[in-house]
Amino acid sequence: MLPNYTVNIMAWLRSPIKGVMLDISGVLKNGNVAIPGSIEAVQRLRKCGLKLRFVTNETQLSRHDLTEKLRRIGFQLHENEVFPPAPAMVETLKGLRLNPMLLVHPKVLIDFKDVDQSNPNCVVVGDAAEHFTYERMNSAFRLLMELKNPKLFTLGRGRYYLEEDGLCLDVGCFTTALEFATGLKAEVVGKPSSSFFATPLKDMGLDSSEVVMIGDDIESDVGGAQKCGMRGVLVRTGKFRPERDENHPNVKPDAVVNDLAQGVELILSSESFKSLIKHE
Amino acid sequence: MASCFRSLKAVLIDLSGTLHVENDVIPGSIEALNRLRKSGLALRFVTNTTKESRSFLLSRLSSLGFDIKAEEVFTSLLAARSLVESLKVRPYLFLEDEALEDFQGIETDNPNAVVVGLAPSMFEYNHMNRAFRLLQDGAHLIAIHKSKYYRTKEGLSLGPGPFVEGLEFASGQKARIVGKPAPDFFSTALSDVGVKPEEAVMVGDDVLLDVGGALDAGLQGILVKTGKYREGDEGKLKQVLNTSFVVSDFAAAVDFILKELGTQK
Repeated sequence: MLPNYTVNIMAWLRSPIKGVMLDISGVLKNGNVAIPGSIEAVQRLRKCGLKLRFVTNETQLSRHDLTEKLRRIGFQLHENEVFPPAPAMVETLKGLRLNPMLLVHPKVLIDFKDVDQSNPNCVVVGDAAEHFTYERMNSAFRLLMELKNPKLFTLGRGRYYLEEDGLCLDVGCFTTALEFATGLKAEVVGKPSSSFFATPLKDMGLDSSEVVMIGDDIESDVGGAQKCGMRGVLVRTGKFRPERDENHPNVKPDAVVNDLAQGVELILSSESFKSLIKHE
Repeated sequence: MASCFRSLKAVLIDLSGTLHVENDVIPGSIEALNRLRKSGLALRFVTNTTKESRSFLLSRLSSLGFDIKAEEVFTSLLAARSLVESLKVRPYLFLEDEALEDFQGIETDNPNAVVVGLAPSMFEYNHMNRAFRLLQDGAHLIAIHKSKYYRTKEGLSLGPGPFVEGLEFASGQKARIVGKPAPDFFSTALSDVGVKPEEAVMVGDDVLLDVGGALDAGLQGILVKTGKYREGDEGKLKQVLNTSFVVSDFAAAVDFILKELGTQK
């Protein structure tokens, strides 16, 4: 059977691939279950000497617990290869000397342990999931209405993601609600923000033109990566929906693949494409 | 000046902030309403309540001394109910218990629509996620209204609007708004008395919902400076409102209407 991926060949071949960024949820795994072939695909990338980083908007777990969870599922990776929004948010808060009111999941609080949360002068919204209550939303709303210079941060702006029992609302729903109520515009710390991608890029020591991002979110992963000069690959796993994502009005992926395994196959065969084109 | 109410046949009246504020009558409103009734104009009361059923509203109005009949009251809750009935859908209801009465008899098993009113106890993740999944499966999204927040004794509190907006963002679906300022809401109340929009005037304290909504629907609008009115509110309108249509209170609005009616005789 022929692999039915699509690739924008000229954009794809414009420079050699030296590094790969992988989204986690919907690319490596759904919920607690590895997507078939993805564990081996990560191993293949490592063997070929490509630099690898895991860039995620996951905020239901601390960086440490997220790494451990992936290891338990069967992935081989190190905590310092994982880039979630919470540590980036902590750096931003420290830089701006802001004390946050945290509307986040209790399991991610440990990443904020060194941040002063007394007399809050901004609100940080993460994927608090079942910890989004009216009372907590209202407390955040009232603080933002009382502050002279209110600031609202959001750890990503995803619409939804796929769990084992179906699609789940992501943080974007609740951030949008607070924006509508307060008239503020939230600053995104996480994908698709270019400054968020800049940290793992710098860590790899590569130029964005040398890196491919693979994700299941057409806007946050593919659109965000392309905006900062990377190639963006969309996988047909996780929350992917053909009717909505394959003909997105604003984002055209550099390639669309069935899953991570096929994406890795495409990356590793890119050199042979090149020779094909040269022969013509 | 030619009468601005040459063919006036009906008056639509807001309740909270126009006739009363919670359990206080706005002075002069009861007598003014009685005078307006004697004029023979058709009267309908239109309100954006999402927390209180019609029978709850009626018992409060009657205990305050207002002479208002059930069939004269149009609430956004009842408008949502008739939309649900006309679409023949089974709604998942974001409503508090005191409002559920208006949805008695509506089939809600195996829902294929989401109706959002003011329901603080349901604005939490699990209910929101249930609604989102229904929307993913093609359910209609119906907002009873979309106000951002309201004032309580403890301070400002989030209204239904932010949660509707969040569901719209996640689902990519625009909500259908049934209460003021939706033109359908005004026209439903008017068709009940067989009056055309250009033959009616709306009186209320909310410049955008009452007056702006009425003007958009082809009615005239009178703004009263009671309830939530704040100095300069009339400047928020995108339409032009003659200053004579901004009056101190409901009694002054009735004086204005009756005087204009008199000039056409």
